[in-house]
Amino acid sequence: QMCIRDRYQRRVHGDQGFVIKMAGSGYDYDVSTLSPEGKIYQVEYAMKATENSSTILGMVCKDGVLLGTEKLIVSEMMVSGSDRRVYSVTKQIGMVITGLLPDGRCLIDRAKEESASFQKQYGIPITGKVLADRIAQFMHMNTIYLWARPYGCNIIIAAFDEFGGPTLHLIDPSGQCFGYFGCAAGKGRQIARNEIEKLGAKNLTCKEAAFNMAKILHKCHEEMKEKKFELEMSWICPETGMTHQMLPKDMQKEMEIRAQETLEKEAMADVQSQIMKNINICLLYTSD
Amino acid sequence: MESTDRFVPVRDGTTIMAVVYDGGVMLGADSRTTEGSLVYNRVSDKIEPIHKRIFCLRSGNSSHTQKIAQLCRLYVSQLGSELEQAPPVYSAAKIIQSFIYNYKSFLSAAMICAGWDPVKGPQIYTVPLGGTLVREKIATGGSGSAYMSGFVDTHFKEGMTRKECRDFMIQSISLAMFRDSSSGGIIRLVDITKDGVSREYISHDQLPLKQPLSLIH
Repeated sequence: QMCIRDRYQRRVHGDQGFVIKMAGSGYDYDVSTLSPEGKIYQVEYAMKATENSSTILGMVCKDGVLLGTEKLIVSEMMVSGSDRRVYSVTKQIGMVITGLLPDGRCLIDRAKEESASFQKQYGIPITGKVLADRIAQFMHMNTIYLWARPYGCNIIIAAFDEFGGPTLHLIDPSGQCFGYFGCAAGKGRQIARNEIEKLGAKNLTCKEAAFNMAKILHKCHEEMKEKKFELEMSWICPETGMTHQMLPKDMQKEMEIRAQETLEKEAMADVQSQIMKNINICLLYTSD
Repeated sequence: MESTDRFVPVRDGTTIMAVVYDGGVMLGADSRTTEGSLVYNRVSDKIEPIHKRIFCLRSGNSSHTQKIAQLCRLYVSQLGSELEQAPPVYSAAKIIQSFIYNYKSFLSAAMICAGWDPVKGPQIYTVPLGGTLVREKIATGGSGSAYMSGFVDTHFKEGMTRKECRDFMIQSISLAMFRDSSSGGIIRLVDITKDGVSREYISHDQLPLKQPLSLIH
């Protein structure tokens, strides 16, 4: 029993139509087509666009929220700070993007418009949950129609408001949006998620957790050590009056140096314990 | 002279009043709706519910204020479902203000929005004819409010108990109804607190002021 697509392929391409069968094989030409297994391949491809991009992560702490990303320095000639990933949407909401950056910047503009129109209509600043829901709906809208393509970016929205306290939301290209205590996306997301879980940021203040975030971001980057990179971190905490600010430059530098030293020490400790194990094994054999 | 009074708008001549007391906010209104000199409805309800703990008082052209209250109810319910929490009273007042301000050349509406929300507690916001938005501890409105302003200024104090507030409001509104021809009927009271909303009305025979006897013996 063949489905309509397969029958069409056979008729048009003859028996050759079945020789080369790639992943999507006809169900992945536009986002308005579902495959027989029930997947939308275009949305999955959009998610692939974010899987190999810079790591982004966020953490809710005892007294606020942290956002961070690591970005490769593409060219030595580029003005530092011009490749921005972390933006303030309102005074108390921040967003970080990964994946296709122009898509992400479009979403940040959209978020700013949504916040402004919400404030104009209702007189109160938009809450993190409402903004995340609206952006998620907007991203999802691009996965239904034939003439649009999904946004190829993951975004994390960090917010503080009097209704929900500190909140963190992660939105992926399919339009799924969930609230988190700690989340990560991008290339190093597995490492980052494990580290964030181990950390238990809910019991740390933002200042303490910021150092750990620098450490995690450096760890995520370890596979590509040769390539130069820099961090972009921001926070919403009592030190900033619960507004969204980038981490002060000198504080960030100091944390990065400490983070690198700590990681090197841990790496040394690992190597040392390996050597000790080997020595013990040698002693075992020579004592005979 | 040509008569241009073919269409006389139905007006809430009105006395409306809202007072914040210790523990909640109380809203009061008379119940007379006039169409020129005809009393169109002598038991009308000028206290409109907007949300579970937000109400508004209407004065001016009846159709305008009813429409504004309906639209406010629509937008506030949308806000409540987006926030998944009690919407702030300020937002309801802002919506009323945006209508009255943006359409002020077409509308003749002055409204008082009052209620309780978990963040700021009991609040009152007035939106008079021009479309300003002012937060107050006590607000009066309508044609009858001029006749009770002396009494209100003298006897209002912050942080009254519920009983003191109720007596104060009944006395003020009866004074206004006594002298203003566009206000009369019964007094409707709505009490909004954290725990709930209660409604009552004071009928004519229970009012503190009665009609004076004729001076001609």
